[in-house]
Amino acid sequence: MFNLPTIDPLGLAWMGAIFLFFGEVAALLALPSLGRVVLFSTVAEVGYLLIGLGIGGPAGDVGAVMHLGYQAVMRGLVVAAGWYLVSRTRSSNLDDLAGSGRRMPVAATLFGFGIFAVMGLSPFKGSFSKFMILYAAIEQGHWAIAIVGTVATVVAAAYYLILVQRICLEPERRPVELAPAPAGLLPIAGVLAAVTAVLGLWPEPLVEAAVHLTRTLDVAAIPRFEAPWSTIVLVPYVGGFVLWAVGRSAPRLRDGLAVVFALATLALVALDPTLDPASRLFALIFAGISAVMVVYSVDYMAGAANASRYWFFAFLMIGSLIGLTTAHELGNFYVFWELMTWTSYFLVVQDESPKALKAGFVYFLMCAGGAYVMHFGILLAHAGTGSFEFAVLAERLPTMAPAVGATIVVAFFVGFAVKAGLVPMQAWLPLAHPVAPASVSGPLSGILTKAGVFGMVKVLFVVVGLGSLHRFAFAGVDLGTVLMVLGCLTLIYGEIRALFETELKRMLAFSTLAQVGEIVAILGLGTALAVDASLFHVVNHAAMKTLLFFAAGAFILRTGHHDIADFAGLGRRMPVTAGCYALASIAIMGLPPFSGFASKFLMVWAAVAEGHWEIATLLLLGGLAGAVYYLRVVATLFFEPWTGSEEVREAPLSMVVAVAVLAVVIVVGGLAPQSLLALVTPVGALVASRAGLADAVLPNLAMQWPIAAIVAFLGAGLVWLVGRRSVAWSGRLSVVTMIAALAAIVIERGRFDGLSLAFAVLITAVGALNLTHATAYLAHSHAQPRFFATMTVMIAGLVGLCAARDVVSFFGFWEVMSSWALWAAIVHEETDAARREGFKYFFFNTVGASFMFLGLAVLATAAGTTDLAGIGRAASTMALPTLATGLVTVFLGLVMKAAQLPLRIDVQMHPALAPTPVSGYISAVLLKSGPWGVLKLFTLFGGAAVFARVGGSLAGLPSMMEVIATIAALTILYAGAQAVVQNGIKLVLIYSTVCQLGYVLLAVSLGTSLGVAGGLMHFVNHMLLKDTLFLVAGAVMVATHASMLDELGGLGRKMPITFAIFLFAGLSLAGIPPLNGFTSKWMIFQACFESGHWAFGVAAMVGSLFTLAAVLKFAHAAFMGAPTARALQAEEAPLAMLIPMGVLVVASLLVGLMPGLLLVPIAAIEAELGLVPVAASLTGPLPGLEGWHPGVVAVLMMLVALPLVPYLRLAFRGAGVQRVRVHECGAADLLPEATRVGAGSLFETPTAVIRGLLTPEHRAPGSQREHA
Amino acid sequence: MSTQTALLISVLLFPGGLFALAFGLALKGADRRFAARLQGRVGPPLAQPLFDLVKLGFKRTMVPLTATNDTIFLAVPLVGLAAMLHAAAMIPIAGVTATSPALGNLLVLVYLLAIPGVVLMVAGSVSGSTYGAIGFSREMALMLAYEGPIVLVVAAVALRTGMAEGQVVTFSLAEIVRHQQVHGANLFDPVLWPAFLAFVFFYPANLGIVPFDIPEAETEVLEGPLVEYSGPALGLFKMMSAVKAVVVLGLGLALFFPVAPSGPLGLVVWAVEMLVLMLLGVTAVRVGIGRMRIDQAFAFFLKWPLLAAVASLAVVVVA
Repeated sequence: MFNLPTIDPLGLAWMGAIFLFFGEVAALLALPSLGRVVLFSTVAEVGYLLIGLGIGGPAGDVGAVMHLGYQAVMRGLVVAAGWYLVSRTRSSNLDDLAGSGRRMPVAATLFGFGIFAVMGLSPFKGSFSKFMILYAAIEQGHWAIAIVGTVATVVAAAYYLILVQRICLEPERRPVELAPAPAGLLPIAGVLAAVTAVLGLWPEPLVEAAVHLTRTLDVAAIPRFEAPWSTIVLVPYVGGFVLWAVGRSAPRLRDGLAVVFALATLALVALDPTLDPASRLFALIFAGISAVMVVYSVDYMAGAANASRYWFFAFLMIGSLIGLTTAHELGNFYVFWELMTWTSYFLVVQDESPKALKAGFVYFLMCAGGAYVMHFGILLAHAGTGSFEFAVLAERLPTMAPAVGATIVVAFFVGFAVKAGLVPMQAWLPLAHPVAPASVSGPLSGILTKAGVFGMVKVLFVVVGLGSLHRFAFAGVDLGTVLMVLGCLTLIYGEIRALFETELKRMLAFSTLAQVGEIVAILGLGTALAVDASLFHVVNHAAMKTLLFFAAGAFILRTGHHDIADFAGLGRRMPVTAGCYALASIAIMGLPPFSGFASKFLMVWAAVAEGHWEIATLLLLGGLAGAVYYLRVVATLFFEPWTGSEEVREAPLSMVVAVAVLAVVIVVGGLAPQSLLALVTPVGALVASRAGLADAVLPNLAMQWPIAAIVAFLGAGLVWLVGRRSVAWSGRLSVVTMIAALAAIVIERGRFDGLSLAFAVLITAVGALNLTHATAYLAHSHAQPRFFATMTVMIAGLVGLCAARDVVSFFGFWEVMSSWALWAAIVHEETDAARREGFKYFFFNTVGASFMFLGLAVLATAAGTTDLAGIGRAASTMALPTLATGLVTVFLGLVMKAAQLPLRIDVQMHPALAPTPVSGYISAVLLKSGPWGVLKLFTLFGGAAVFARVGGSLAGLPSMMEVIATIAALTILYAGAQAVVQNGIKLVLIYSTVCQLGYVLLAVSLGTSLGVAGGLMHFVNHMLLKDTLFLVAGAVMVATHASMLDELGGLGRKMPITFAIFLFAGLSLAGIPPLNGFTSKWMIFQACFESGHWAFGVAAMVGSLFTLAAVLKFAHAAFMGAPTARALQAEEAPLAMLIPMGVLVVASLLVGLMPGLLLVPIAAIEAELGLVPVAASLTGPLPGLEGWHPGVVAVLMMLVALPLVPYLRLAFRGAGVQRVRVHECGAADLLPEATRVGAGSLFETPTAVIRGLLTPEHRAPGSQREHA
Repeated sequence: MSTQTALLISVLLFPGGLFALAFGLALKGADRRFAARLQGRVGPPLAQPLFDLVKLGFKRTMVPLTATNDTIFLAVPLVGLAAMLHAAAMIPIAGVTATSPALGNLLVLVYLLAIPGVVLMVAGSVSGSTYGAIGFSREMALMLAYEGPIVLVVAAVALRTGMAEGQVVTFSLAEIVRHQQVHGANLFDPVLWPAFLAFVFFYPANLGIVPFDIPEAETEVLEGPLVEYSGPALGLFKMMSAVKAVVVLGLGLALFFPVAPSGPLGLVVWAVEMLVLMLLGVTAVRVGIGRMRIDQAFAFFLKWPLLAAVASLAVVVVA
């Protein structure tokens, strides 16, 4: 019929393509005149006709005829509605037409409907004919024409959307007086709209008419785009319409129905047996998060404008997401893909603010553009295989030519990547997510980006298959590499942008980018394990990010602010929401015991298993960046005072419920990761089986909780709860919890090795003492229960660490112990300085932990087991570079924990700002996890034999341990000298701690029988002594409210017991024989010299002199000399402080007099570690060739001193003591203050020398205060 | 004789305890007399330090009002003296006594030797006196200066002996003495000359005599830590100082020149050697020169003795 033999058909098609392209461009340039845009646009459509006819063939001919029919109806609708608008507004200028949506809602809606139909958005089927024409072009090999057509479509989409936004959604720009309505136009538009809808839903009659008209015989050659929709989809779809209808009259009923529909959808998805694992996983995520979103929206949208529209599009979006997962052929897949974009677009612009409209514009244009590109790939795939069915495609695609296959893959990838927000296609995401209502931003970030991931997994990994992806490579670059590179770039971009963001929702949006980057990068590894890992993170991120956005929405709703800084102290007003926000933040930082930790662990694991250490490193670095910006918000919420309105209160019920449900998911995902993994692993298996790869062997991701850790953890919760009623009982309960945990350790002692059992017992025992002290220390502080609870959690982590036998538990509990719980305890005082220093400490801990984790992952993946002992067995046969890398990084982390050079504690934190019981605990106990870990892992990983493989040995020591010992020896000198020159009350002690940790680490790294024994002795002695000193410092600080030594003086008169305790502990620590601090040091000296490390021995001996100077300086400045005004007002410490200090001192005395008390267990531990145990008996002397008995020496000295006591004649004739005025060279009017020699004036010459050597330019933290 | 009895005797009677106290007082008496002679005076009788003690014993015990804690104020000299009496028991007298290992080895002795300094510092500080505090500060500075060299000296001798005996190191005083009795005194071992030099500088400082009597400089800080002490408490300090002289000089002999015949004659020779050391190394020096300032002393020790000690250790390890 349309036979034009005189013109070359192909020429005709090209003419059409060029006509089309320039027509669309002209239409774009014709803005802002509505009339001209529509005119040019209409004319441009002729191009499609020409292409269709020119290309010919069944698809081309039928497509052209259908296009004509469709356009006649839809254009008619646009023209009729547009005409109505223009004539009433009396202007064709968009600036005048803006706001028509408010002025003429019906006409504007019809116009918008028409525009979307013309644009070809599913399900309006305008695209159907258009794509049939493009399909014809592709099928016959004229790709270029199809590409021009696709580009033109994208251009058209731009101005179409501008029209819709300006006319239907924007508020009016200038006042317009409406002309009377022209008769007849509106009814005509209505009829045309109805026809459009009918044609969209039932296109068959038109297709048949077109077939008939073109006399096409080969009906089979016409592609069938769609299959029937899944019934599950109908629930939300029909639901959307029902809600819209009901909502106009009964909003409450609407809300209730919404929840019912959402839950029904979720139930149907869960029960559907037909879905393959990938679809099932994503369907569950989509439906689950949607259900929570619906619950959240009930109160969030209550009273909001356009609520019914919101519900309508929300359910349509839910339906399209479910539809996407239920699709089993590309036609429906594409339809739902488009619908998802379209419906979510309306949710993004819900507020109709200029910002929202702009964001929506970019969002829609980019996603629709991506979809068009994807569509090109769909058509190409059909042209090559003759089918849209996934099953058929999976069979036939692998046989395609690589070039074609690669083009298809790239086309799909672009569509998916835009949705996922991969760099460089991410621009829409940070714009759109923040402006949408919070109820939508959550799912946008949480699940809509995951639709892109779903596409990658479902279409590329399952349908196309990994094997084919490798074959479809451009110049050797396959999709996996592209995913990894773009994933990493997205990760970096997202993290960096998030770091500098001050608006909460924007920060969260950038974080989404980063998380998606992680997911995609891991996906790119292309193993079953990697797929499992990244999908597991998809699940967790969906819950975490949705929660974060929901909570942020609640904050914004209640305060009306958007900036992070405006939420200061909000945690006090909205404890549940903010608490859940904090929980999700911790989880998303990848910290245990929450779900984000498990998936992050698995992702790093997967990366390392494939040898992609750089990706693992990047992930860990990303975690660090995340820690920075997430923690900042938590600090703002909880550790700043609330200055806003008193009216602000907890979020409405439905929002709280939604947030809490997600929090539960996060907790469950962390404690029982296998429950969520069960959904994920079949997908990995599916992908693997498609590619003929081995199935993944997953490490057990669940942390193994000893009873004691459970007790402490639950106890912490209880402490916090009780604390809401009574602070005193909360404190007592925390002490009881510690004792209960101690009992649990003893009961369950089989779970610990000897070394760890001893450590665990000390951990809880000292914990109980310090918490007792804390009840008095914090008596006049604030938020005590929070402190008690976080400190208890921290101790729970330590206990769990002791019981750890596998990598997951080891690293998991390590992080519990040293990250968020510790941080929360440190920043308790809520000052700027405390927050700064607490954060610094947290940051360094996380860096150290990251090193350790990377090393553990390297070793464990190489060994193929997470069991620590198993790794040890495998270590002797492991490839040397792997072994070396693993060991060095693990031990680097451990040495960092012990605050050794060059990552000293002074760089890490300024501990004066933390409550003293916790800083004492950190110094005395927590930092010991460094040397403990060195010893435990050294022996578990095969001891000297294995370590000697790493770079041979020096002087009989494996060189790696030698390096650690050297670091420790240098640290002894450095930190010892620093302690001498400090003037801050706690700074003196903390430097001394670092110095003493150096002793422990030095001795332990010697690895000899005597060295390890000495190290362990000092481990305990320092724990007892340093904790005593800190508790004394705490007592002093409470009594005087001072923080610098110079503010003190003469306290010993008022606090004699405290003074005596300090003097004993201090002198013992400094190494005064025969006290316990000396005995362990003596063993260390002996061990150093005996093993030939005389330099270490000399350093250790000199170091103890520094300790002496520091201790005496403290004693003099605080307790002795002339009293200051502050000292005169001080009182002796309360019993709650004296008792813990007394217990510690008695323990020190006992182990000092009877070193066998420590040596016997130490010998047992040494035997267990595979070392030659030192000779030890309960009442025996110190081990070694020249072993002496400190108890004997003490008794002898006592016996020498006793006969001399009478010489003092104290009781002689009641003489007693005569009191005299101190000699002041005759001056009688000197005030004590004036004659005091303060801390700053002591040891001037050595101080100057040390300062000159150590800190020529740099001033130590706190030094400004010293000089102030 | 059981071990316990032997230990008790060594600590209470000989070579520590009573003997060390008496011998120390005698050395102090000789020192005062010799110093007087050098200054052209007659000087006190040899037993003058003993008379002083008796006299102080009859005085009343006085505690300044500013003292932080009476018990500690009065207990510190006792602690110092007990530590020194114990240390004296550890000093080997070549050919006469060998130290029992149960008392502790050389490393323990080095740390015991720090106790008099520590108790002086606490004494100065706890008295509440400004001069005491200044004395404390100076004492600590001086300790920081001279402890490094002595540690190195001890390490050098211990390593040298240990290696020669086929071990890595030995901190047994008895073994160090025995080794020298067989192989000749360390004084004649050129490798240990720098160590000896460092020790020569160490002991005046440790004994607190001119030019290193800076913490107790009576013309500057009125005896520093001791300014508030009088009566029996001061007596205890004097005893401590006397015994300490025995310990430090005895240590020097043990480390570098344990040359004496066996038996009672050995004791006499040892006593003479000690006396000579005292008169030449202590009295002559303190009479002959003036006092350094603390910064001078600190800088001095950080230079020459430390250098000598480091050199000594290096030579020992290399040789």
